[in-house]
Amino acid sequence: MMADSGPKEVAVIGNTELTSAELDNNIINTMVEIEKGTSLLRKMEISVAEAEKRTGKNTVNMQEIYTVYLIETRPVDALTEGITPDSLWRRYSEFELLRNYLLVTYPFVVVAPLPEKRAEIVWHKLSADNMDPDFVERRRVGLENFLHRVASHPVLCNDNIFYIFLTEDKDWKEMVYETGFQAKADSRLKAVNAAFRVKNPDGRFTELKHYSDELQTVLSQLLRVRARVADRLYGVYKVHGNYGRVFSEWSAIEKEMGDGLQSAGHHMDAYAASVDDILEEEEHYADQLKEYLFYTDALRAVCRKHELTQFELEMVALDLACKKQQKEELVTGTVRTFSLKGMTSKLFGQETAEQREAKLQVLEQQLKEGEEAVKEKNTETDEFVKTAWVDIERFKDQKDRDLKEALISYAVMQISMCKKGIQVWTNAKECFNKM
Amino acid sequence: MSACTPKSLASSGQKPIQEMCHPLGAEEAVLTPSPDVRNITSSIGEKDQILPNGTPVETSSPSSSSSLLNRLQLDDDLDGETRDLFVTVDDPKKHVSTMETYITYRVVTKTTRVEFDLPEYTVRRRYQDFDWLRTKLEDSQPTHLIPPLPEKFVMKGVVDRFSEEFVETRRKALDKFLKRVADHPVLSFNEHLNSFLSAKDLNKRQGLALLSKMGESVKYVTGGYKLRGRPVEFSAMGDYLDMFTQKLGTIDRIAQRIIKEQSEYLAELKEYGPVYTTWAASEAELQGPLEGVASCMANCSIALDELTQDMSGDFLPVLREYVLYIESMKAVLKKRDNVQAEYEAKLEAAALRKEERPTAKVPTDVEKCQDRVECFNADLKSDWDQWQNNKTQDFRQLLTGMADHNIQYYEKCLAAWESVIPVLQDKQPQETETEED
Repeated sequence: MMADSGPKEVAVIGNTELTSAELDNNIINTMVEIEKGTSLLRKMEISVAEAEKRTGKNTVNMQEIYTVYLIETRPVDALTEGITPDSLWRRYSEFELLRNYLLVTYPFVVVAPLPEKRAEIVWHKLSADNMDPDFVERRRVGLENFLHRVASHPVLCNDNIFYIFLTEDKDWKEMVYETGFQAKADSRLKAVNAAFRVKNPDGRFTELKHYSDELQTVLSQLLRVRARVADRLYGVYKVHGNYGRVFSEWSAIEKEMGDGLQSAGHHMDAYAASVDDILEEEEHYADQLKEYLFYTDALRAVCRKHELTQFELEMVALDLACKKQQKEELVTGTVRTFSLKGMTSKLFGQETAEQREAKLQVLEQQLKEGEEAVKEKNTETDEFVKTAWVDIERFKDQKDRDLKEALISYAVMQISMCKKGIQVWTNAKECFNKM
Repeated sequence: MSACTPKSLASSGQKPIQEMCHPLGAEEAVLTPSPDVRNITSSIGEKDQILPNGTPVETSSPSSSSSLLNRLQLDDDLDGETRDLFVTVDDPKKHVSTMETYITYRVVTKTTRVEFDLPEYTVRRRYQDFDWLRTKLEDSQPTHLIPPLPEKFVMKGVVDRFSEEFVETRRKALDKFLKRVADHPVLSFNEHLNSFLSAKDLNKRQGLALLSKMGESVKYVTGGYKLRGRPVEFSAMGDYLDMFTQKLGTIDRIAQRIIKEQSEYLAELKEYGPVYTTWAASEAELQGPLEGVASCMANCSIALDELTQDMSGDFLPVLREYVLYIESMKAVLKKRDNVQAEYEAKLEAAALRKEERPTAKVPTDVEKCQDRVECFNADLKSDWDQWQNNKTQDFRQLLTGMADHNIQYYEKCLAAWESVIPVLQDKQPQETETEED
């Protein structure tokens, strides 16, 4: 299906129709790496090729400007069947909807995070603007990364809603709502309540929650300090540009020293200018850290779900135990626990044998149901723990791999920066020697 | 002494204007004294420079200074065989007495000059003594450019006068001062320098010094004489010094700003590394790599600290020294102007008198004035050329030094990061700490 321009009231800024030729012209293609052992990515290449501004009326009928992203899909190679090249536009809120659906539908999965909605941790005041082209570009990369994460996940990649998100523009939203996932969503209140009152959570999940809190704290701090370091580094480099100017002025009043000074000044200018590229590259490292910062939310979500299921199990088991005790009391006639009924019967007379029998029957039934419920919950909990833990291990391996790569590329960046520094100052030194 | 007939000031010294080189260019050509003085050169040896009765030598003939300059010019740099006076300032020591605490420096002299009784001397001097020497030199050699001393006053509380860094910076500057004086063809023969280098106890006669200083300055701040025609080369010198001072000021400000920015960068860096260590504590597989990164950053911080210290210690003081140097040079130029102005005034007065009484002889004080002007100009000119040479060398050294410091900084950081790569790749773990150069 060819790309539709979306709802009828949308107008594209500056463009009426996007011809395929124009698409080809504008494409900034980032080709995906096929990860081994994944189902969808083995067949399909996914890229978020482009970003564009649109205007439209929002829910309160006011004009707004928003950005849309072009999702392109194509078969991996000529032999792959079942995939046709396709492209469609999606906005950020649709990605959010997709993610929420996945979170609710697969609560045992550590679902990849989306890139920042708003630019928050920035090193240069300029890029705090959502409409800033650099921010939009980094968000485009982040969204593509998100799609790759999902498409390479052993469970998520098979989801139909996800597939349609990538391939079908019409009515996708309706389809998502039709799944009724919103009803399945656990309320935050319920989750918090469970967290407080659960008695025997699985120790591994408690540890995991603790770890994700620590990771969040340390990564936030790291990103903040890194931004400040970048700011300072920028200052150091830029001030050297002043040497360029003063050496040039000075060379004008010198006879012998003039040439050497002048050329040295040019190297100082080059040095000052080089910091822009250096810091631009470092942003990529920051984005990698940010992804894992946001991942901690997903980790906590899985822990919360465990607490909830465990809590529900405990509630059901408690209920069963209660009922058992009630039966026992009824059968033996002893009232071990204080109850209003007991009091009233004491005051107003005993029950008849029929009444007792009836009660017993009800209790028996309830006991049976209770035992079923406990069995069910047990299975549910076990299942959850099992599947969640598989995914958590998968996540841990992915995290270790990715962050190691990130650190390596960061070190490589630093090495390159040092080499450039040596080069510039060596050049300047040669000029000084010629003075 | 040569008897010069009064003539209009068309040139400085014996050279006609056309033959004078541009003051901004280093003297490549040998400054030859003009023919009528050459025969006198051989008879005037170095001995005449220091008159035993202590008379200031400002009236020394230009020929002797230019013959010396001649000798200098033939051997391009003084590190050659002609140098016969070597001085060093080292070994600072703290002295504590009931009255005060101060630092003395050891001054070692090695020489073959006959003016010195012994071939070697070792004395201890304090800053005050250097200051005394400089004042004496200024007084007794007012036509010459006297090298500057490091700043005298330091704000107590802001700078620690007894810190290793401060003392070392000062020592280097004092050493430079003394070496420049010792290398100067005229100043190095000054009797006060001799005393400074050799006397056990510097009987400074400070009272006398003050008096003579006043006397000299009165002589040279001759009031009321208006300068008619300053030779273009001296105007050029003045202009150059003004512009150069300005540039030095700018460079000083930039260097300070860089140091400030680097310090703030360092402060952030010192916070940055430890966060990786904190993170490492909650990781398993990543612990090694993260700690590697943390220690790498610690090494980079150390390297940056060293860079800032080096620049503060080596770079800034030399800039400041030159600013002081230029100030004293401008003062000398002013003195020269005054001497010339006085001469012009007296000459005009004499010319007027000559009109009235044509048979009257040229008054001797006019001749004296002319002598003074010509000697001053010659001394100044030769000192200027030498100063230009020294300046080029000093700044070449200063700027290459700055480049070197930065190169070393980057090399240290490079080594640190390169050594951490195998740790990150989880190869056979190597040394995560780098060796400092």
